[in-house]
Amino acid sequence: MRYWRSREALLVLPALAVYALLYLYPLSRLGVWSVFDPEPTLKNYRQLIADPVYAKALLNTLEVSFWVTVCALGLGYPLAYLMTTVSARARVWLMALIMVPFWTSILVRSFAWVVILGTNGIVNKTLIVLGLIEAPVRLLYNLIGVEIGMVHVLLPFMIFPLYGVMTQIDPALLRAGRSLGAPPWRAFVHIFLPLSLPGVAAGCVLVFLMAVGFYITPALLGGPQQITLATLIEMQVSDMLNWGFGATLSVLLVGAVATLFVIFTAALGLDRLTGTGKA
Amino acid sequence: MPSARLPRIVLWLFCGLVIVFLVAPILVIVIASFNGTPFLQFPPASWSLRWYVRFFASERWYEAALLSLRVAVVVTIASTALGTLAAIGLVRGRTRFRAALELFLVSPMVVPVIVMAVGLYFLLAPLRLTGSAAALVLGHTIVATPIVIVIVAAALRLSDGSLELAARSLGATWWRTVRYVTVPQVAPAIGAAAAFAFLTSFDEVVLAVFLGGPDATTLPKRMWESMRFEIDPTLTAISTLLTVVATVILAAAQLARRAEERS
Repeated sequence: MRYWRSREALLVLPALAVYALLYLYPLSRLGVWSVFDPEPTLKNYRQLIADPVYAKALLNTLEVSFWVTVCALGLGYPLAYLMTTVSARARVWLMALIMVPFWTSILVRSFAWVVILGTNGIVNKTLIVLGLIEAPVRLLYNLIGVEIGMVHVLLPFMIFPLYGVMTQIDPALLRAGRSLGAPPWRAFVHIFLPLSLPGVAAGCVLVFLMAVGFYITPALLGGPQQITLATLIEMQVSDMLNWGFGATLSVLLVGAVATLFVIFTAALGLDRLTGTGKA
Repeated sequence: MPSARLPRIVLWLFCGLVIVFLVAPILVIVIASFNGTPFLQFPPASWSLRWYVRFFASERWYEAALLSLRVAVVVTIASTALGTLAAIGLVRGRTRFRAALELFLVSPMVVPVIVMAVGLYFLLAPLRLTGSAAALVLGHTIVATPIVIVIVAAALRLSDGSLELAARSLGATWWRTVRYVTVPQVAPAIGAAAAFAFLTSFDEVVLAVFLGGPDATTLPKRMWESMRFEIDPTLTAISTLLTVVATVILAAAQLARRAEERS
């Protein structure tokens, strides 16, 4: 009777079998492909180091991801904070206004930005009518376009963990601070902000990890200067049919993501990352 | 006390702008889809339903939508079954490796889809499975299952395990307990998970582009190809329809969740 629940653990087996075949095996094969051609070789990795294009793509990827994370935090933190302070009815509306774009196809949203940010798009037209600019500004196929598109897609991934942590903060702590004479901004900076930091960390790492592997938005809204690891993999595989090198770049990308993922889960616990905590 | 109110007003204004940023692209696409001119225009000078007519009249688009639907239905069934069982195993089962298992089972959520696409291509090409609906089903199942696991596991952690203990002590076998006590308890969450699994497959682009080939073109793949070459205004109508599908599914999932809270 002591182990009455142990058999339930067997229920993970079907999923494990499918994962082994369709996930673990293909990913390990990528590692193997990157060092065979067909003889064992390190030429793919030598090429990776020798040509500065790849280091630049990696730097590009990290740079884009960094700024996307910063912007998402800047936009998401106030919104998550607002959601913890409004009435239940207002919160439902705010949540709905975040969830509908969140579940709308990424393709649709990226396409929408092409329409909005184009030279004849509504942003340029408005700015010209207002007399702020004389000629259309280039907002597409450059860093600005990629940033706007990616922040739009990833912002909810910042808001959800932030909101999750903020709702756990006991409002009595803030009231105590206020009653001891702290002005509202001081109570916020010294009590609320530090307590919300786990949410900030979870949101930032989640957004950064997802941004690093992003393909659709950079491919549609970026220009030749915004080559990221993901778009580079696609080019190597689809255009140049260089599968071995595509595999090598994939190993690099997964390695970067996995390293960050492991560090994060070790430091903060998986519950916060996936939102599976008891809340 | 206007000075105490001011920060609050600034916060609302700022958040209002963030919400506008989130919602504007969808509104623009919906409005542009009713455009009457023969090219894409915003705001539209005249109104019509011509792009919707063109979508439904075109066999090319219609067939792609049908394939997406077929793939998504199979993926929903497969990933909901796999994910629900795995979530029960993770939350109710006893094993030393639980934390590691859970980490592994949800990890596809952060692995870049493009890497999975390349890996699956290596696996499926020698088996001559690329360019088929089967390849898409296999790929999408791996992407959708972790979502099901996360949603169902969260519901299981909130549910009452003592009911299962009672069933077992009354002589039910472990499988009967899972089937008749555990699963019904979290049925609304399973429903919500299935809805999200469906949407995940139905909207998926990268795997569809890599594994679909010329013969198995889903709706997102056709849209992607169309977007890369020219801006066809039909895309605005299709995008609007996709958004409607997503909103309906989201609302259904939300209702299922609410039913769960009441029970």
